[in-house]
Amino acid sequence: MSDNALNNGDSPDLEALFDSILESSQEVSSPVASINANDQEDPQSLMADPAKSMFSHIGQITRKLHDTLRELGLDKSLESAAASIPDARDRLSYVATMTEKAAERTLNALDIAKPLQDNITENSKKLSSQWDRFFNKQLSIDEFKSLVKQTRTHLSSTAQQSEEVSAQMLEIMMAQDFQDLTGQVIKRVLTMAKDMESHLLDFLLMFNPQGTTKVEENSLLNGPVITTEGRTDIVTNQEQVDDLLESLGF
Amino acid sequence: MADQNMRFLVVDDFSTMRRIVRNLLKELGFTNVDEAEDGQVALHKLKNGQFEFVVTDWNMPNMTGIELLRAIRADAQLKHLPVLMVTAEAKKENIIEAATAGASGYVVKPFTAATLDEKLKKIFVNMAK
Repeated sequence: MSDNALNNGDSPDLEALFDSILESSQEVSSPVASINANDQEDPQSLMADPAKSMFSHIGQITRKLHDTLRELGLDKSLESAAASIPDARDRLSYVATMTEKAAERTLNALDIAKPLQDNITENSKKLSSQWDRFFNKQLSIDEFKSLVKQTRTHLSSTAQQSEEVSAQMLEIMMAQDFQDLTGQVIKRVLTMAKDMESHLLDFLLMFNPQGTTKVEENSLLNGPVITTEGRTDIVTNQEQVDDLLESLGF
Repeated sequence: MADQNMRFLVVDDFSTMRRIVRNLLKELGFTNVDEAEDGQVALHKLKNGQFEFVVTDWNMPNMTGIELLRAIRADAQLKHLPVLMVTAEAKKENIIEAATAGASGYVVKPFTAATLDEKLKKIFVNMAK
C-alpha cells in the first residue's frame, strides 16, 4: 500500500505524516490491512486507550479519503470538471444560436408562403361559386366569357404560386438541419454533465456520508418542466391549468 | 365578437415566440399588434399607447410578467386591461400566484392555436359583462 502510494507523486511530507499515523495505529491494534475490518478487530486494545485509538482512527479515515480520491482520479477529475464548464457554455450557446436561426428561417418562409396559399384559396372559392352559378344557368354570355378568362388566369397563377409555396416548404424542411448539429452538441454536453455530476457526487458523499441533503426548489422562475414524473406540484397540460383555476373560483 | 381592431401588446423576451403569438392573433383576425421584449419596455409602451389587451410571458429579464401584471393592476389608468399570461411556468404555485395577482387567463407553453383562441374568447365574454 505505501509503496504504491509513494509512486503516486504525493509530497514526501504528507507521506511521512500518514506513515507516522499508520505506525502509531499499528501499536494499538493489529496491522491495518483494511480500515473497515479494523473497527471490529481487537476491541480490548482499542478500549484501553480511547484517545490514541481515536487519533489513529481519524488518521486512517484521512488516509483512506486521500487514497480513494486519488484512486478514483477525483483530484484530476474535479479539476477537469471545472475546466469543462466554459466549454459546455460555448456549446450550449451554439445550440441557442442554431435553434434561434432555424425558428427565424421557418417563420420567414411561412411569412412568404402563407399569403400565397391564402390567395389561391380565396380565388378558388370565388371561381368555384361562379362556376356553380354557371351550372345553375345563372350566368350571362358575357359573364361566362369573363369567368373562363379568370379561370384560365387563376390556373396559371396557381401553378406559379404553388411552386413558390413548395419552394418555401423545402426551405422549412432545410431549416430543420439544426437538429442534427445541435443534437450532437447536446449529447456531448450531456455526457460531460453526467461525468461531472458523478465526480462531484462521489466527492460530496465522501465528505457527507450521511447522504446529501436535498434542497427544495421554491422559486417561481423555473422555466419549462423537463421531467414530470413523480411531481405533484406542477400541471402538465392546459386542462389542468383550467381545472385548477376553476377550483379556485377564477 | 371582439373588435378586430383591438390593439394588442405581445410581451416575450424571445422574438420567435412574439412572432408566433402575433401570427396566431393575425389568424384570429387581430392585426393591430405591437411587441415588447420585457416587462419594463411593455409598461412603458402601455403607458404611452392605447392598448386594449396584453399577452405576456412570465420569465423575462429586467421585469418579469408577474411584475408587469402587478404594475398594471396597481396603475389607475391600466388596471382594467385584460392580461393573458402565456408561459412555460407550470407549477401550481405559479398559476395561483398569477390568478391572485389578477391575471385574466393562464396558458401553459407549449400551447395550440385553439387554446389561445378559446382563452381569448373567454376573456372577451368576461370583458363584455
